[in-house]
Amino acid sequence: MGRRRLRGHRGDAVGALPEAIAALSQTLPAGPSPEIFRRAKFDRPEAAPALWQLLFRVLSPLPADGASASPASPTSPALEAQVHLVKSALRSQGYPRRALAQLPEDGSQGSRELLLALAWLLARGPLLEQLLAQTRVRLGDEIPLCECEALASAGPLPPRQEADGPVDIRHLQWLMGKLRFQWRNLITSQQEQCALLGKIHSYTRGCHSDRSLGHLSVAETELFRDPEGGRQLLQRLESENARLEAALVWWRQELVFWKWMDTVLGACPLEASQPTFLPRIPTVGASELELVARELQALHEELRGVAEPRRVAWEARAGGWGPEWTAVQRASQEAVGRELATLQRAWEQGEALAQTHGPRRLVKRDAGASGGPGLRAAELIGVLRSRETCLEAVLGRLQTRCWQELTRLAGARPGLLWILPPGR
Amino acid sequence: MLPADCSRRLVAELRDALDACAERQRQLERSLRVSRRLLRTWEPETPAAEPAPGPETNEEVPPPACTPSRQELKELELLTQALEKAVRVRKSMSKAGERHKALSLKSGDAATSASTASAPSRASSQAGSQASETKPPRGAHQTTVPARGLPEGRLPSVGDRTRMARGARATKPGPGLRDQQITASAAPQAPEAFTLKEKGILLKLPMAYRKAASQNSRLWAQFSSTQTSDSRDAATTAKTQFLQKMKMTSGWPGSGLSAAEVEAEVGLLRKACSLLRWRMEEELSADPADWMQEYHCLLTLEGLQAITGRCLHRVQELRAAVAGQQLKPWPEGRCPRASMPCEGRTDSSWSPQLLLYSSTKELQTLAALRLRVAMLEQQIHLEKVLMAELFPLVSTRDPQGPSWLVLCRAVHSLLCEGGERFLTILRDEPAD
Repeated sequence: MGRRRLRGHRGDAVGALPEAIAALSQTLPAGPSPEIFRRAKFDRPEAAPALWQLLFRVLSPLPADGASASPASPTSPALEAQVHLVKSALRSQGYPRRALAQLPEDGSQGSRELLLALAWLLARGPLLEQLLAQTRVRLGDEIPLCECEALASAGPLPPRQEADGPVDIRHLQWLMGKLRFQWRNLITSQQEQCALLGKIHSYTRGCHSDRSLGHLSVAETELFRDPEGGRQLLQRLESENARLEAALVWWRQELVFWKWMDTVLGACPLEASQPTFLPRIPTVGASELELVARELQALHEELRGVAEPRRVAWEARAGGWGPEWTAVQRASQEAVGRELATLQRAWEQGEALAQTHGPRRLVKRDAGASGGPGLRAAELIGVLRSRETCLEAVLGRLQTRCWQELTRLAGARPGLLWILPPGR
Repeated sequence: MLPADCSRRLVAELRDALDACAERQRQLERSLRVSRRLLRTWEPETPAAEPAPGPETNEEVPPPACTPSRQELKELELLTQALEKAVRVRKSMSKAGERHKALSLKSGDAATSASTASAPSRASSQAGSQASETKPPRGAHQTTVPARGLPEGRLPSVGDRTRMARGARATKPGPGLRDQQITASAAPQAPEAFTLKEKGILLKLPMAYRKAASQNSRLWAQFSSTQTSDSRDAATTAKTQFLQKMKMTSGWPGSGLSAAEVEAEVGLLRKACSLLRWRMEEELSADPADWMQEYHCLLTLEGLQAITGRCLHRVQELRAAVAGQQLKPWPEGRCPRASMPCEGRTDSSWSPQLLLYSSTKELQTLAALRLRVAMLEQQIHLEKVLMAELFPLVSTRDPQGPSWLVLCRAVHSLLCEGGERFLTILRDEPAD
């Protein structure tokens, strides 16, 4: 279907390609000019730095607040650091071509390879959508609901000096106490923020031009207090609108771009087939893998310890039952199979809390008001309460297990009384 | 003292948790500063991008920053004096109740005149009613009110916005009015006290902003609707083909697993483990009533065991992939999360969604619950890490040594009490 369409438009393909590339470059944050793309096809060195910077911007996490709308923030690292980060990021995502890793660190070469890398990222997932959602202008008030938001807005952390040398365990206790205290502070501050938001929302009731929203948000009220800030907000809105329109154009013209990328790929020399060995570095993820492995192993042991005796007892009792037994047996097996399949789907297909993902604008609306799109806070509270109960149960179980283990270890030194603290 | 590598890992883990908390706190403080500022007194100005408002929107535009004209102040002074006279006249011939009302209104004003920022709505409605008896303030030119100016019967309904709008201009000299009544000083104060509380509902968004915002939501809606269409299918095919070709042209012998994918799978397996465990506990705590249920329970436990075995097998595969692939770590050790773990979203998730709440209490409950869930998740993670690091220490250290008891006590406190309480260890001396 698409091919037929393209053949008919072959004459227009010449015009469609620049349009597509222009749309792409406008949609991308820090997008280079279409000329850079053209030069990259011929692997011209002058196109390389812009593409390194583009990939860096695309692959690195964003700074904390979206207020810094400028693509080149004052703290962006030097080109070499960007090159390094881009290489390791692509590698970690599984970029299939080795040529990228072999490009020089000073960022002077390899524009064609970078162009291929960009196309690879675009082809793999909804890259543009994610980038646009990342930098989205937030007009409403939000409380961060899902973990991903809280993490994504954390931004790059400042380097921290590691504690060298042995540490007293009391230091750990102190750190835990500090953490508890910080959480308490956090909850108090959050309560205050909610109260203030509630006030602002009630005081600006009926002001919003959009009836379904009804009241102003903090950002919108700020428009009145700080006209300069309001101007900037307006500018950001308008540039986002321009980017969204460019994205829509891009999606109409995509095919042309992919045809062109085929030719770019064709222009590359084939890679040599002998693999070069890269130095082995222990991964950070390995320790997480080990943790999970240990947990699963422990669980497996427990299950075996529980299931085997029951099976033995069952076999001993259930001998000599008639043919109607096998039918019942089969029915049970099927039922259990279905239940377990549902259980498996629960973790394979992602969270049950799917509806809490994504930013949501807070809107104050009277309880009696009629429905309409939007998630009710009461529902979410219910979901969160059950999650809280579940997590408390898990934590309680872990702590009980620890207690049992400690009791066992304490047996190594008899003749002591272990007096538990009150309230246990 | 703990060994160096163990210390380093544990301290790093705890500091990560502290940093994450501190980051949330920072963001909250930022928002708090903005919100607090908005609830104090400030000068509203419509952004300059707004073209000069037409005459018909005048009444709803918040009062500009300039002081009221001398003319208007003078007129209102005259008005006030006339009204005071009227009150005196009325008082002398009215019942006690009316006097009481007028006095209580006046004393109410006296009590609040101290802070201009908290003008009670009564005062503004009082002024509003007075002003509304005259012509609209822009053209205030006569003071016709004497007999009808008393506020008691004339309090406009709070929801009467047009009146309030007109009254808004008059409330500027409101404090001046009250000062007159109290101090009888000649010059009205007329500070430009704007608070969101009194006059928030008068704000109207500028046209440029409204246009941009509605275009923005329209574009986002279009965004999500173009996700599924014929041209997208053709593009998807082209993309898949391109990816295939990329893979074929590379000389890489890799098995195709990237570090990011391994991390994602580890997350899934973690979830699997807790779900399986939860199910097991459920089965173990249930009391089978008959042999059918017993059999069901047995089959479930065996099924869980089989699934756990398969998960373990997957872990072995991942281990091999990690070892054989020489996967390089992400630079800061945390960035992979930034690659959108929320990818499970599908339709219409790009357009703005709403979260509706009905009262501040509800919002506070929601926010507190959300933080509590995050805190519990962090605590569970820390618990597992601490368990993995500390138990080996306790078992390998000499129980008869001096530091073993200290270690046990600390480990108990950290692992079993969340660091909140401590146990006491007594030597059990036989009574001789």
